[in-house]
Amino acid sequence: MMILTTRTIVSAVRPPYPYGNELVDQFHFVLRLSWFPLVITTFALCLGAPGLQAAGPLQTFGALDRLGGFFVVTAIRWIGPLVTAVVVAGVAGTAITADLGARKIREELDALQVLGVDPIKNLVVPRFLALMVVTALLDVFAIIFGLTAGIAAELIYNQSLGGFFATLFTNATVTDVWASVLMCTMFGAIIAVVCSFKGMTASGGAEGVGRAVNQAVVIALVTVFFFQFVFTSVLFATNPELQAIR
Amino acid sequence: MIGWLAIPRGWLDSFGEIARFGSRVAGVVYSGKVLRFFGETIRQAGILIFGSAVIIWAFVFILGLQCGIQGAFFFRSQGAPSYAGLFTAFCDLREALPYAFGYILSAKVGTGIVAEIGAMRISDEIDALEVMGVPPITFLCATRLLAAWIVLPVLYLTSIGIMYAASYFAVVEQVGDVSSGGYTLIFWMFQDPTDVIYSLIKGMTMATAIVLVGCYYGYTASGGPVGVGTATAKSMVFNIIVVHILGMLGTVVFWGANPRLPIGG
Repeated sequence: MMILTTRTIVSAVRPPYPYGNELVDQFHFVLRLSWFPLVITTFALCLGAPGLQAAGPLQTFGALDRLGGFFVVTAIRWIGPLVTAVVVAGVAGTAITADLGARKIREELDALQVLGVDPIKNLVVPRFLALMVVTALLDVFAIIFGLTAGIAAELIYNQSLGGFFATLFTNATVTDVWASVLMCTMFGAIIAVVCSFKGMTASGGAEGVGRAVNQAVVIALVTVFFFQFVFTSVLFATNPELQAIR
Repeated sequence: MIGWLAIPRGWLDSFGEIARFGSRVAGVVYSGKVLRFFGETIRQAGILIFGSAVIIWAFVFILGLQCGIQGAFFFRSQGAPSYAGLFTAFCDLREALPYAFGYILSAKVGTGIVAEIGAMRISDEIDALEVMGVPPITFLCATRLLAAWIVLPVLYLTSIGIMYAASYFAVVEQVGDVSSGGYTLIFWMFQDPTDVIYSLIKGMTMATAIVLVGCYYGYTASGGPVGVGTATAKSMVFNIIVVHILGMLGTVVFWGANPRLPIGG
């Protein structure tokens, strides 16, 4: 898998660049498949978990306006990237593994190689780049819909929205947002490499493709979550202004 | 070419069929017909334990660590670092654990079932079962559902313990704003056994739905090796949505009206 990562990055930057059309196709494909699950899941998760669950204690303390500050933590730093990763891995990652796995089983990949077409350059690189960009873009939408869910939670508790926005904008920093988007770009790269690798090494007929999809999504999810933990720890350690009392 | 609205339309199509299929499988389990194949059930339970337990625990451990650092840093920026236990108690037990359980079950168990049953469908083994007089829904789907009901509650309860340990590790050892005693005081204050029951119900509802969705997509797979891969991918998409909707409904039903807090009587 590390070899595949290195070869993908090398052949992405080294000319020629024959993968333009495939890149646009993949971009369109992932976006079309993922937008609806993403909207539903972010809204549901942010309304249930941080929205209602945190509004309980905050209402007891009479400090419901603090929910805005809390949503910086949940929607921007944590749940936005997390849900984006789960949706992209579950929707786009599985589709990529199923697609490449089917091609491997039907020996199309070998045929490509015989024709002198490099499968990594023409199949993996466009998926890699498209997934990196799409995951970062979808993260922005995840944040937007997460905050919408926060507003909904605030309205359920009959609270005015001024306090929500005030604490939201005092607590949110530019670092939070770029860190979230950068994290999602890396998630996209991880998911693309894992899923392409599992698809290209599928073997064993009908059950093989299914098993490849199964393993790909498990490995992708565990890797992504662990990466998020490391990234967040490093981010907080290197940017102490995120922890200043506001 | 798939249209922009293909996914929601596809769900509406398949939702009714999945519900009908699921009630059939649950009916077989409930009426006790599945006990004819109790040996197969035990075998499936064993596969669940040996195949999925370690993955579930590892995943839950990572999510517990994340809960811990997010909670610790949030309460540090609010000026009340000793209350990190409030965040982790809610996050671990009420929200993150059901979701983590749902994600990893749909990724590991759900897609695994689709791949297995789908391959049987493609190679006509299911038709062969029917010819031999073995009811395939009972033998393939109902045994898996019963096995999940036997194994998963136990796995869920052990996962709770692992997640607590991970959060403790993150808050007390890694971030280190609060002493061990101060953390556990707040942590245990903000939960009670009823919360564990509610959380268990939430997780088990998700698990049941995931197993049924997996069985449905595997049972109706078609179109050769490619079809199995596509069905596996589709079941994952459907499961993600189901997990989130059930999670939100569970929160609203169990804690929406009464947050069950030990504050102010």
